[in-house]
Amino acid sequence: MRQLLAATHKDLLLSWRSRAQASAVMVFGATTLLLFSFAVGPNAAALRQNAGGFLWVALLLSSTLSLAESYRAEIEQRALEGLVLLPASPRSLFYGKAIANWLQLLLVGIGLVPVMVVLYDPGTENLLALVGVLAMGTAALSAPGTLYAAMASQARAQQVLLPLLLFPLVVPVLLAAVKASSLLLLGDPMEQAGSWVMLLAAFNGIFWPLCGLLFGQVVEE
Amino acid sequence: MTGGIIIGGWEYVIAAYAITFTVLGGYTATLLARTRKSKRGQDQEPSR
Amino acid sequence: MAGNSNEKRPLLAYGSIALAVVLFAIGSYIGLFVAPPEHFMGEVQRIMYVHVPTAWVALVTLLWAFVSALGFLFLRKWKWDSRMEASIEVGVLLSFLLCMQGSIWAKPTWGVWWDWDPRLTTTAVMLFAFIGILALRRFVEDPVRRATWSAVATIVAFADVPIVYFSVKWWNSLHQVQSTPQTVDSPMITPLRINAFAMLFLMMGLVGLRTRLAARRLENELAPPLPERETETRAIAAGGEA
Repeated sequence: MRQLLAATHKDLLLSWRSRAQASAVMVFGATTLLLFSFAVGPNAAALRQNAGGFLWVALLLSSTLSLAESYRAEIEQRALEGLVLLPASPRSLFYGKAIANWLQLLLVGIGLVPVMVVLYDPGTENLLALVGVLAMGTAALSAPGTLYAAMASQARAQQVLLPLLLFPLVVPVLLAAVKASSLLLLGDPMEQAGSWVMLLAAFNGIFWPLCGLLFGQVVEE
Repeated sequence: MTGGIIIGGWEYVIAAYAITFTVLGGYTATLLARTRKSKRGQDQEPSR
Repeated sequence: MAGNSNEKRPLLAYGSIALAVVLFAIGSYIGLFVAPPEHFMGEVQRIMYVHVPTAWVALVTLLWAFVSALGFLFLRKWKWDSRMEASIEVGVLLSFLLCMQGSIWAKPTWGVWWDWDPRLTTTAVMLFAFIGILALRRFVEDPVRRATWSAVATIVAFADVPIVYFSVKWWNSLHQVQSTPQTVDSPMITPLRINAFAMLFLMMGLVGLRTRLAARRLENELAPPLPERETETRAIAAGGEA
């Protein structure tokens, strides 16, 4: 447990030190939202209907940047080998990094909400619940993302490898998060949002343990 | 699902079969060729 | 299913493929010309005689990939990595065919090229996932890492399959009530069975051949220099000094 806290602290510290990068990621996300508006055109109804979808695609694209960034320190300073030599289990390393990535992504998501509200006008109902969905969705992206980013950062063609591996895997997350977000923003006459949130919970429940288990295989030699 | 009797449609059937067998046949041929090539390479090298 | 010793010819694989060709000829002939057209779908039904076998065998192939991934991680023997590489490649091929057949079937039936059927959509998602794993293998040069990482990725991808399926099924059910009748009440089970066996034998032959190729490449990557080469090098060096 102490290892976990130490690892999380380390990664949060790294994130704080590179907060300029983090703000750049947020701007990237906001730009993506803007691009969607231009792609769809000034069709207020279409924009409003799909606000949830745009938000999550923008978040997914941003995640490739922030996930890759989270390993930059390790790769540049060759710190990955050093970390593994420490008497810390790979599992704590993984969860520390995954939690830090999650929080970072959640921050980006929260930052994008006002942008979305302004551009797409989906109303401001249930924003607190929306943050809950953001929390679950970004967590679901972070677990496999941290695992795959560990591989991608050490391989060739790393920038394309991470999205190539991650995107198909997180299709259920996208579906559930978009559905839940849209229902929360636009109205949920049949109370379905809860079920989609449960799907997110199930995804988290499966992949946080699984990726933690497999992380050791990826960093140890 | 009731209704909608589809008339004809042989083009689709032929397309499906043709693509399936062409792709499978092509891949099979590729593997056979590579196997033969690698075997020849193996024979020329002295065995360990 | 793994390669025989490198010196012998892969007779089992060759035989399997030959048998598959014969069975395909018979099964397809019956399916195309002998079986009666189905009541609602007409001639288009005949696509099922290749589509369903492809589906079954694709599933078996990817299951074998999953087993091989576990085999490598737990047993640490190279043959499991070769088997995994082979079965992922063949599995990708079959999944691609599956999506194409499904699309060709959907157009005359529903009027669109894609009907978001949960099984087919899950296949499409897994197709991309496994192509990503093939790309991963291509971009990692160290054999140990390549094997370990792709095994990990295969396991994660496999764990995702049921989740993808249920999420798509649910997502789709809110919009449409269409379904692909993949469990076929076909006028004739016979061409289906024959083609299913044909596809299975073909897959086994292909995976067998591909496994050998993968194993051979691994040998080259991992092997120490041959003694004969060292003699050559010494001769060249001696010649250079003279």
